[in-house]
Amino acid sequence: MAEATLKTVPLDKARVLQWLQTYGVYAGVALLLVVNIVITPHFLSAENFRTQAVQVAPVIIVALGMALVIGTEGVDLSVGAVMALAASVTALYLGYGLVPALLVVAVFAAGVGLANGALVAFVGVQPIVATLALMVGGRGLALVLLPQLEDLRNPSLASLGSGDVLGIPYLILIAAVLALLVAFVVRRTTFGRQLLAIGDSRPAAQLAGLPVRRVLIVVYVVCALLAAVAGVLATARLQASDPTSLGNLMELSAITAVVVGGTPLTGGRVNIAGTVAGAVLIQLLTATLIKHDLPPSWTQIAQAIVIVAAVYAARGRGKR
Amino acid sequence: MQRTTHRSHLLARPVVVALAAAVALTVTSCAKSEDDASDSKKSPAAAADAEQKVVTPKPGSETCTIDAYGGEKIDLKDATVGFSQSEKEANPFRIAETQSIKDEAAKRGVKLLTANAQSQFSKQISDVQTLLTKGVDLLVIAPLNSDGWDPVLQAAAAKKVPIVTIDRKINATPCKDYVSFIASDFVEQGRRAADQMIEATGGKGEVAILLGSAGNNVTTERTKGFKERVAEKAPDLKVVFEQTGDFTREKGQQVTEQLIQSNPGIKGIYAENDEMGLGAVAALKGAGKKAGDVEIITVDGTRNAVQGVVDGWISGVIESNPRFGPLAFQTLDDFTQGEEVPQDIVIQDSAYDADNAEQDLGKAY
Repeated sequence: MAEATLKTVPLDKARVLQWLQTYGVYAGVALLLVVNIVITPHFLSAENFRTQAVQVAPVIIVALGMALVIGTEGVDLSVGAVMALAASVTALYLGYGLVPALLVVAVFAAGVGLANGALVAFVGVQPIVATLALMVGGRGLALVLLPQLEDLRNPSLASLGSGDVLGIPYLILIAAVLALLVAFVVRRTTFGRQLLAIGDSRPAAQLAGLPVRRVLIVVYVVCALLAAVAGVLATARLQASDPTSLGNLMELSAITAVVVGGTPLTGGRVNIAGTVAGAVLIQLLTATLIKHDLPPSWTQIAQAIVIVAAVYAARGRGKR
Repeated sequence: MQRTTHRSHLLARPVVVALAAAVALTVTSCAKSEDDASDSKKSPAAAADAEQKVVTPKPGSETCTIDAYGGEKIDLKDATVGFSQSEKEANPFRIAETQSIKDEAAKRGVKLLTANAQSQFSKQISDVQTLLTKGVDLLVIAPLNSDGWDPVLQAAAAKKVPIVTIDRKINATPCKDYVSFIASDFVEQGRRAADQMIEATGGKGEVAILLGSAGNNVTTERTKGFKERVAEKAPDLKVVFEQTGDFTREKGQQVTEQLIQSNPGIKGIYAENDEMGLGAVAALKGAGKKAGDVEIITVDGTRNAVQGVVDGWISGVIESNPRFGPLAFQTLDDFTQGEEVPQDIVIQDSAYDADNAEQDLGKAY
């Protein structure tokens, strides 16, 4: 029935929808930029773009990992908790120096990723349930390790958060490098192909002899590691470890960025450039509303509209 | 097809869980945070003179006695007091509040049972009911919500257990459902913050407000007091920006970054708690501003913020005193001995500015 109606849709509408699916998010970003240049004072300055980029960098990094997980037809709700965990572990081990602390953070994040991956790949728990468990447990652990906000004064951590190379903050560089790396992995490596094949159809991938479990575990570990990177960077920027609030609702921001960017929740396709643009779109939207001092509830409504629009544009794709 | 292969792994699960628990337990033993050697943690003695003081009650304000409430006189020393905390002790205010209750109970030699609702209202209700079944004679409650207390109040009334609520009010009849309510006046805190802002900016220019979480009475009242006083005393001081920072440092920083970008001429920022104020400081530092370029006024009086005043980044801090212990127990003591106690006890909060921040740093929590 649904297919029959789809076929009768005029070609023009289908084409517009197709165009929206692919380029809608970029058009949205461009539109917001133009609108802001016209109506927002002091918008067209290097300092402003730097601010927006620095604020969006952690979201982009988390969204990259989320895009990979969603590509396997999963979802990872524990990313915000991993950020909080990264923050508290950083604070706990900073006494040994920045690098050792980061290694311990990596171990913890990998642990969470392994647990997520194992639950999904071996035990066969639905990703949303498995990662929900780690979302609750991870933040709990973060708070057990560090019950309240702690100020950090480590100079190398501070420079990681606010330093720059040739005027480009480390945060932006790191996010850009990671985005390129993830895009390369998805497009050009066997691992990327396997990931997408699993997302398309897990039974088929299994029958084809792909290492389904290994790929799934690696994907969840990578997602957790990326979230940990974002957690450390956010902590470095704040120069304080705040496991109670860091990463709150980050899983939703990341999922929004991925979905708005044109990656279907049904798996089998990952759009990294779109994901980055999706995160930027939400950031610009929030910034616009804040700069014009509109009530915070408007931001939520505006985000909801963007999500609905993205889902509407992606509607046809799901029925493939 | 997949299910059958999974059976063998089921056994592995408890092992994994046990392993994880072991990791969690051992991990803290070899941790080394920055502060291990030096220490910024204050001595409890320093806080001794930071006790809450009561604003002199207006003559004719309502009082409550044990006869009116319906109960029996008891000696506080032989009594068991139950304390129900609303939020987890993850922020300085809650930590100081719980500690103050515990310290005062220890000082007076009163047996104290405590419970923490972890920000879940249903848990707080069951916490208080548990305390009642454990046989507490008196209750001190820091309510998470103002409404929904009927079942607890009925249970307490049946056992004739007097209740004192602190920092938030319960919507019920004083001297019937509960004895007294002890708290700061949040509207007054907003007014005093406005006074400091007017003084710091000279009463002219544009200022911004970093609001607390939406739908929170602390947010609405601190905003109301601030705006009222600004409108009344300094009409030339304009509030041009009001955005929520959700009471967190990170949001405070992000919102302030946007603010100083689009309103470079902003003269002052009123942060409705210290954390957002500290976030604003981080944003100003990140934007290459100097201490004093933008006047920041915050409310709460945590140690970090008062240190910010000493360093010159924050112009003033209005205190919201969390040390309810002495006052709560004094009220219970007076009440159980048959004396009159006020139904509403408003605390006198102090303030920190450049003149007293350094010497009063020990009072901050």
